[in-house]
Amino acid sequence: MTPKRMRRIIKTTVLYIITLVIMMPLLFPAYWLFSSSFKTNLAAYMTPPQWFPSPATLENYANLTVGYTDFITYVRNSVITCTATAILAMVVASLAGYAISRLRFSGKRPLLLAILSTQMFPHVLILISLYVMYRQLGLINTYLGLIISFTTFAVPFSVWMMKGFFDGIPSEIEEAALIDGCTRLGALRHVILPLVAPGLLAVSLFSFLDGWNNLLYPLTLATSVEVRTIPPGLLLSFLGQFKHDWAGMMAASVVVTVPVMIIFVFLQRFLVRGLTAGAVKG
Amino acid sequence: MSFKVETIAWRKWLARWHSPWNETGLAMLLIAPAVAIMGFVILYPLVRGAYLSTLNYSLLDPAGPTPAYLNNYGKILQDKVFWESLWNTFFFSGASVLFSFIGGLLLAILLDQNLPFSRVLRGICLIPWIVPFIVVGFLFTYIFNFDVGVVNYILRAFGVIDSNQPWLARPNLAMTAVITANVWNQTPFYMLMFLAGLQSIPSELKDAASIDGANPLQVFWNITIPHLQNIMVITTILMLIRNFNNFPLIWVMTQGGPIYSTTTLVIYIFRLAFSDFNFGYAATVAVIWLVMLMVMTALYVRRFEREIAL
Repeated sequence: MTPKRMRRIIKTTVLYIITLVIMMPLLFPAYWLFSSSFKTNLAAYMTPPQWFPSPATLENYANLTVGYTDFITYVRNSVITCTATAILAMVVASLAGYAISRLRFSGKRPLLLAILSTQMFPHVLILISLYVMYRQLGLINTYLGLIISFTTFAVPFSVWMMKGFFDGIPSEIEEAALIDGCTRLGALRHVILPLVAPGLLAVSLFSFLDGWNNLLYPLTLATSVEVRTIPPGLLLSFLGQFKHDWAGMMAASVVVTVPVMIIFVFLQRFLVRGLTAGAVKG
Repeated sequence: MSFKVETIAWRKWLARWHSPWNETGLAMLLIAPAVAIMGFVILYPLVRGAYLSTLNYSLLDPAGPTPAYLNNYGKILQDKVFWESLWNTFFFSGASVLFSFIGGLLLAILLDQNLPFSRVLRGICLIPWIVPFIVVGFLFTYIFNFDVGVVNYILRAFGVIDSNQPWLARPNLAMTAVITANVWNQTPFYMLMFLAGLQSIPSELKDAASIDGANPLQVFWNITIPHLQNIMVITTILMLIRNFNNFPLIWVMTQGGPIYSTTTLVIYIFRLAFSDFNFGYAATVAVIWLVMLMVMTALYVRRFEREIAL
């Protein structure tokens, strides 16, 4: 082995060790989350802590399904409201995103700036007014009310993303279709839509995730168990009746996290591109 | 037959879209649903919130709201909790951004070194960022627990502390715990952003500098850092504003306590409205906070505007 090659191997090994050491604080809590969910609650209480679950058990997961925390109801409610939000936001945002990306109209810039700035609004201010409005309109404790509240984030964000996706499709493709005798609507359906389909999916998944993670709105706008979604449901269960059921808490946490992870694996490329677009260009 | 006529008429109508006036009409039609929704759930509530801030409006008061004019705004000046919350907000956000920034930059530089399996490592690093806030809150409530928390055990094992610390029950410690959880959650985001920035630096630039005799540190200071500057500024401002408005993490871990030690403005507003049912005053604090955010947002947008062609 040449000394040069030797040096490279040593350098790589050292760098690798440093990387892993720095990654430890990131990895350990994640490991703790998963491993604790397979412990018996007794083991989750042990000092010194049990580094590996033994005996490993699935009882915490099984307990979630037997209804002692209404977990199934929360999951159902989250799935219904988040799916509806995602579809609504996707439809509305793809129309608006197309218009903003492709058509000329006055007031486009202020509209874009307004959409961008909504991302910084404290949702709690909107919530105060929404709560008062909802009480008058009878929207508290309804799916519709929750869906509407989730769109406060989902719609502006989706419009912004969709504009980006449409921008990414060269307008020459569309023009070519128009010259070939396609109508604007035909071009939209046969040329643009297939190209932008991954974007549509990405945008819906983002909206879905936002609703899935949203604690603030459902905590106040859905006070009855029948419409309560996962975050407030778990919070009220595990900070109340089932306080200190650590293993159960971790199991529920894993169940909430896994769908997010699955979606995220798909979203990763859009995410990196969407978030860094423009920022990296300079 | 009639179908064909209809189709032709439809096509003629569609053809008119090419004229500029109809382009505007079509655009209005397409953006209408989005604008309507945003008007109902964002714009109107904001206006209504501003109106609420001029009322004495307690949900517990059967007499209903009475005008307060600007009294609520006067009250803020003497409201010690408001100022404490404001400080907490900046402290929580500032410290979170500082530590995640450093951690994210370090990780990004290391993962940019073409180590074997660096893509896998990157993927693993992203896990904390995907975890929903409610889960981050649960996890760190467990980890920082007084009796069974693994943090107390590890710190005692290394001799950093003599006895278990009540992390979530003592003011300064609670803030530390909440910030730790937040840093854990968002460090991967900085890593992702910085890594994207690093990978956009043309390698010829670094090579040329190395050939010209620059040492790695000089390359880092004179090429890498200037190249990352834009992305650093944008990420920092974006995350500051995100942290300013973080509700779920703090709420799950401490509900703003003990006393007001982890009460940020968002938590304070929430408590005013939904624990004290003092909607008028809650709206006032929220409006003030919104104005402060708008100023900061304006900075953000101005900075952002140059990079993205609006």
